[in-house]
Order: sequence, then C-alpha cells, then structure tokens
Amino acid sequence: MSQIQELGAQLRAASADLPTGPVTVALERLRSATEILIWVRETSVDPIGVPQLGNATEHAERAAAALRLAQDAIATYLASIGLSGDAAAPPDRDWRAGLERREQPPPESAGQPPPEQLGPWWRRRVAELTEEPPPDAEDADRAGTDTADLLRRVASGVRSGDRARLGRDLHSVQASTGLALSAVTPPVLRRLAGDLLGHEPGPDDVARLRSAAEGRVRSLLPGTSPAVLETLIARICRVPATDAGRPPTHPADNAVTAGVLTGVLLARLGRDVSTLDPDAPDPVRRAEAAEPR
Amino acid sequence: MASVAEVKAAVDAALQQVTEGQAAIQAAREKLGEAQQSLAAALDGSASDAVGAAHASLSAADQALEECLGATLLAVEQAQTYTAML
Repeated sequence: MSQIQELGAQLRAASADLPTGPVTVALERLRSATEILIWVRETSVDPIGVPQLGNATEHAERAAAALRLAQDAIATYLASIGLSGDAAAPPDRDWRAGLERREQPPPESAGQPPPEQLGPWWRRRVAELTEEPPPDAEDADRAGTDTADLLRRVASGVRSGDRARLGRDLHSVQASTGLALSAVTPPVLRRLAGDLLGHEPGPDDVARLRSAAEGRVRSLLPGTSPAVLETLIARICRVPATDAGRPPTHPADNAVTAGVLTGVLLARLGRDVSTLDPDAPDPVRRAEAAEPR
Repeated sequence: MASVAEVKAAVDAALQQVTEGQAAIQAAREKLGEAQQSLAAALDGSASDAVGAAHASLSAADQALEECLGATLLAVEQAQTYTAML
C-alpha cells in the first residue's frame, strides 16, 4: 500500500467512525421525550421543559448536519488528492443504531420491583388500539425486554398477522419500554420505506406508502386513528407537519403504530425480523421501486 | 382520568428518554474527540481548504452537542420542578 493509499484509508476510517449513529439516537430520544411531555402538558401553562427540549433537538440537528459536512469535506479532500474512487460518502449504518442491545443494569435491590405507575395506563391504551384484553397479571411486565426486543416481537406478530400475539407482546412490557418505540423506529421506518420504494422517500411517495400499509395497520390496530398513520408517513416522507391546532396524539398511539408499521414494511419487503439486528448484513436496496404486495 | 402518580410516571418516562439521549450525546462527544485527534494527526501540515472545512465542521458539531446537553439539563430541571409541585 502506498503512502497516499494509507492516508486515504485512515481518512475513510475516520469519516466512517464519525458519531452520526449516537447523534441519530439522541435526536430520536429527545423527540420521543418531547412528544410525551407535550401530551402531559396539554392543558397546563407550565412548559415542563418542552421548549428546552425543542432547543436541545435543534442543537442535535445542527450537530448531525455538521458531521455530514465534515464527511463531505473529507470526501472532497480525498477526491482532490486523486482518490476520487474512494471518496464516496460512507454507507448509512445509522438506521439501526437505536436497536443496539444494551447491557441490563443489575437490580438495585432484591425482591419484586415496585409496580409501574403507568402500567395500567399503557395496557388500557394497548387494549383500545388492538382490541385485545390485557393478559393475566402474572404474564405481565416481562422482565428484561428492551425496546429493540419489543420491536422485533411486534414485527414478528405483524408478519404472522396474529393480532392476539401482537396484543400480548405489547401488554407484557412496561410503559416506558413501549413508549420508546417512538424513539427507535423513525430511522428504521425511513430506511425500510426507502428500500420498498427504491429511492429516498419524499412528499410524492405519501400515497404509495399509505396504500402499502394502511389496510394491514388497520386490521392489526383497529382502534388507532388514521391520523396517526398519516402523521408517521408524513414524517417518513419529510412532509411538513400540518397538524397545528390539533390536540396532541396519545403517545402510546404513535409508539404502537410505529412498531406495527415497521413490521408491515418488513413484511412488504419480504424480510425477516433478524434483518433489524445491527450486526446483520446491511440489506441491499433494490434499484427499481417495488410494487406493494 | 389521570392521577398525580400517572402524570409523574409519564414525566419520568419522558425523562428516561432524555437520560438515554444524554448518554448518546456523551458517547458522540467522546467519539468526536477521537476523530478530531485522528484527523489532526493524519492531516498535519495540510493547507487544503477541504481539510480546514472538515476541522471547522467537527468543531461546530462538538459545540452543538455541548449546547444540546446543556439544554437537556435545563429541560430535566424544569420538568422535575414541575413534578415536585404536584
């Protein structure tokens, strides 16, 4: 390897290692937190931290944009020293960054943990969305299920078209685990939608994604409002929000519908749930748009 | 109808997301510092405009992440003050 090739390799590695993944994770966590707080404070004049979280999200967006600029600058430099063939931007590996398996913290004390305050609230809403009643108490609160695990379970349930199983999986987790589906799904949904369409989703793709997902989402979540799916598809397609003045959506609705939509898009692509694993090979995007099946 | 306990739990659920976001920001800043060092070592002596732009963008990213972290701390403080009054 020549010295210039070695320099190129170092720069490509540094560019690929820029922390775009953690910044994406942070952005989605902050958006999810904001969504919950907006719902909590609907009728309160106290801001409860929402404006500050909005500022934090803007800063994180600026950081993400600056990292992309740095990658572009490195690519420009590589091209300028004659390594143009190597100057392409690194592949997008961030869409599954939120699905990394995390080490479970050791329990702080022995014995049964205190009952979760939001548990009944979460299960009530899941029952309304899925029309599946909560399971027996002893089946609830599956310990050790993190949000990435839940998303895989939900996607499996969607794939098999088993609403009862979907309901059981959603009922069995803690509310915070379920609500965090809102945080882990946005980059996954955008990537899967792009793979289904054969290009990056844009405003012109709303109708096509709707027709690909609407029927199956409604059959699995008969209690969800069509507006929730519309909002999710609009976000995937980067369509400016038009919901000003509308009351905030129940946070569980967004989280559950986003999880189910992930499963529907995976099924449309004919992909297994294991393709969501961060360690799985990156699926190859088809050049031509796929017709919804 | 929501109880005070449920409102507090909902705010806690949001703050858990913020905490995870803060951890991701800290991890990003650490990786960014390593990348800055590695690029500085590899590109030492370069007068290229593109190199200057890369360094400037990385500094801007770090600054934005620092401000992001500061804003989350304020948000957490305000939310905790609110729940303490309930």
